[in-house]
Amino acid sequence: MELRTEEMLLNIGPQHPSTHGVFRVVVKVDGEKIVEATPVVGYLHRGTEKIAESLTYTQIIPYTDRLDYLSSMLNNYALVQAVEELMNIEVPERAEYLRVIVMELSRLASHFVWWGTAVLDLGATTPFIFAFRDRELILDLLNEISGARMTFNYMRVGGVKWDAPEGWLEKVRDFIPYMRKKLKEYHQLVTGNEIFLARVKNLAVYDGETAIKYGLSGPNLRGSNVKFDIRKNQPYSIYDRFEFEIPVGENGDVFDRYMVRMKEMEQSLKIIEQAVDQIPEGEIQAKLPRVLRVPEGEVYTRMETSKGELGIHLVSKGKDKPYRLHFRRPSFINLQIFSDLLVGNTMADLPAILGAIDIVLGEVDA
Amino acid sequence: MADLLTRPFSWLNLLYISLAAVIMLGIVLFFVTYAIYFERKVIGWIQIRYGPNRVGPKGLLQTVADVFKLLIKEDIIPEKADKALFRIGPMLAYLPAFAVIAVIPYSEKIQFADVNVGILYYAALSSITITGILLGGWASNNKYAIMGGMRSVAQMISYEVPLIMSFLGIVIMTGSLNLIDIVEAQKDSTWFIFPQIIGFITFLIAGNAELNRTPFDLPEAENELVAGYFVEYSGFRFAFYYLTEYVYVFAMASLMTVLFLGGWDAPFGLDFIPGIIWFILKFMLLVFYLFWVRATFPRVKTNQLMGFAWKVLIPVALFNVLLTAVLKILNVY
Amino acid sequence: MFTKKRGEINVWGKGLLQGLGLTFRYLKEPKVTIQYPDEEYVLPNRFRGIQYLDPEKCIVCNQCARICPTNSITLSGKPNPDPEKKGRVLDTYEINFEICILCDLCTEVCPTEAIKMTNKFELASYSRDNLLKDKKWLENNNTNVREANH
Repeated sequence: MELRTEEMLLNIGPQHPSTHGVFRVVVKVDGEKIVEATPVVGYLHRGTEKIAESLTYTQIIPYTDRLDYLSSMLNNYALVQAVEELMNIEVPERAEYLRVIVMELSRLASHFVWWGTAVLDLGATTPFIFAFRDRELILDLLNEISGARMTFNYMRVGGVKWDAPEGWLEKVRDFIPYMRKKLKEYHQLVTGNEIFLARVKNLAVYDGETAIKYGLSGPNLRGSNVKFDIRKNQPYSIYDRFEFEIPVGENGDVFDRYMVRMKEMEQSLKIIEQAVDQIPEGEIQAKLPRVLRVPEGEVYTRMETSKGELGIHLVSKGKDKPYRLHFRRPSFINLQIFSDLLVGNTMADLPAILGAIDIVLGEVDA
Repeated sequence: MADLLTRPFSWLNLLYISLAAVIMLGIVLFFVTYAIYFERKVIGWIQIRYGPNRVGPKGLLQTVADVFKLLIKEDIIPEKADKALFRIGPMLAYLPAFAVIAVIPYSEKIQFADVNVGILYYAALSSITITGILLGGWASNNKYAIMGGMRSVAQMISYEVPLIMSFLGIVIMTGSLNLIDIVEAQKDSTWFIFPQIIGFITFLIAGNAELNRTPFDLPEAENELVAGYFVEYSGFRFAFYYLTEYVYVFAMASLMTVLFLGGWDAPFGLDFIPGIIWFILKFMLLVFYLFWVRATFPRVKTNQLMGFAWKVLIPVALFNVLLTAVLKILNVY
Repeated sequence: MFTKKRGEINVWGKGLLQGLGLTFRYLKEPKVTIQYPDEEYVLPNRFRGIQYLDPEKCIVCNQCARICPTNSITLSGKPNPDPEKKGRVLDTYEINFEICILCDLCTEVCPTEAIKMTNKFELASYSRDNLLKDKKWLENNNTNVREANH
């Protein structure tokens, strides 16, 4: 007698604990095995790009805070970078250093959230709390310099809003050895754990060529042994002054992407350490007219966020508002590979794979 | 107390028996209340938090408040659910959980039923719970619930085998299935954790899996199945599933204490401390271990879980049985 | 512990024990929770909380309303009641905290520092109507006002 089995259509999300927001994926499962998966995005769509067309450049900055709300500083920079590029503005040294410091702190904060939640998706609760404890320290630092915990609105075209308050740089310097110690604990708690290894090794493997074909960037790309990091390959800001490495993975599985991010945290600390040592005194804001009129033209600038390549395509018609502004959001593009990775894996792998892609729905849906 | 059962039937005796059961239920409920509190505290401490500390002094009434909230909640049965089975599910899951407690001896005086096949009774009854869980999962008419239910059945059936095999060694050593005899035997020689260390470790792992607790909490894996088999349950029925889980923690930790840690036997000749205190101490240690593991480990996958049971645990448990038998023949024990 | 592929060899359960050791050590670590309503959460000077408004200083230049990215500020002026003085004074001023994102741009453009940020951040309310704060409310919100706008 042959058993007749049926495939089941399972709707995961938009309200599901491990879709990290309002992401939805419709999977066809055969028992526990996933046969087909269709992601559905857009539940958090706010039309940032369209809204931006009716806002002045300064007004758009708070909106960029809300794209990848886990690393707002990086998004802030993406916009001001594009405007500065088009206006050809020379940014004061000190401002650039402050930007690098807050950006790397932001990258760390974003990676902490990823680490906590990705491991939480595998069922371990404690790492999540540890990660948030350390993220809290970064948020406190950023709060002190910018006045907000998540939506910083810190960068301005031509510089930054505030100079570092007294003693702030020392606090950042003290944070580095603390964090190095804690990173060791992270590894001790999770990286060596055999259950964790059994769950993530050889899971959702793709090679570098596939990754490039899908347009992946960031740790998702580097996990597959492609050494590409815009901070090194096309240095922006003052990243060419710092010494750091680009960690890459070998096999391109979930574990490699995990390790790439873990090593990136160490590199970020290294960059912050150098920046805090080198930071000069001086102005923090370039002299600019009160109303920013960007000369007519078109520019595409890109930068490396914690998720991957965040590009901005800015078209200006010489007004104080952009004619067209497009965000190339890394989370959204990295997500394209998700449904293909799911096929053939089990339900239990779904959160693990999604966690390794590291999406933020604010950015996916923009 | 056990002699109550052997006395001739009379209404008074029936009253006594019922009263003893109610008292035991009270103790178990008390344990469950504070086990949940203790669990949340321990996990809180590990996670550099305080844990519950708002309701009552030091948060001691937190679980009471939680249970009260569950009791006053609206009782919802999904429209498309199989209503009769939906109602039976939690009961069927809970009944055996409470029934298995009867055979566990807590101290020289506090023991309920002197059953000659105590361990077998435990193993046999505890597997009935699976039916309740599967019924709950199936009757909910929810995809997550049915997946949770199926996982649960697969897991419990696989892990029952190594669980039972791991205490076969003890049965060989003592020649008895009676839990009281087993404790007496440990009083005479040594605690079975030492000669039966392999059995103890397999029991610890299999027991953890049997309890559906992290890292083996697949049936209720919140990250993929939201809540697993009881996703549709609310109010009192949900409380029953929850209770079942914790009563099994009680039962499993008690059983482990009796089988491997010498029950109420005092170590190092510290006889002046009453046996029941020793029992509670050992029992708490095991319960703490469960909470500790929960705060540390991620969850395993279904195929890994099965593979681990059939490829690792069962062979190891079988080897332990063989080893014990050989040593027994050679008169080492 | 479960699957060993590609010839990885490590001691079984070493990582598990390491993790257990770490969590056990953490049992007695000092707690980091802030008991929020009982304990005050100390915010830095620059924190951007609900605005404080000084109507005396306001010159009704409308810059704050214009810069606001979410159009949450509405204001109107009237001629100065004192005929000796020129200019306009503030008549009504409202911030809609349903849509205000506390981005700090209004205080940044204000030429007279009439509008400033405070450290107050508690806005929870039972009704949306309560979130529309008028001139009077903003004027009375005068505790923990930030010193500098820039």
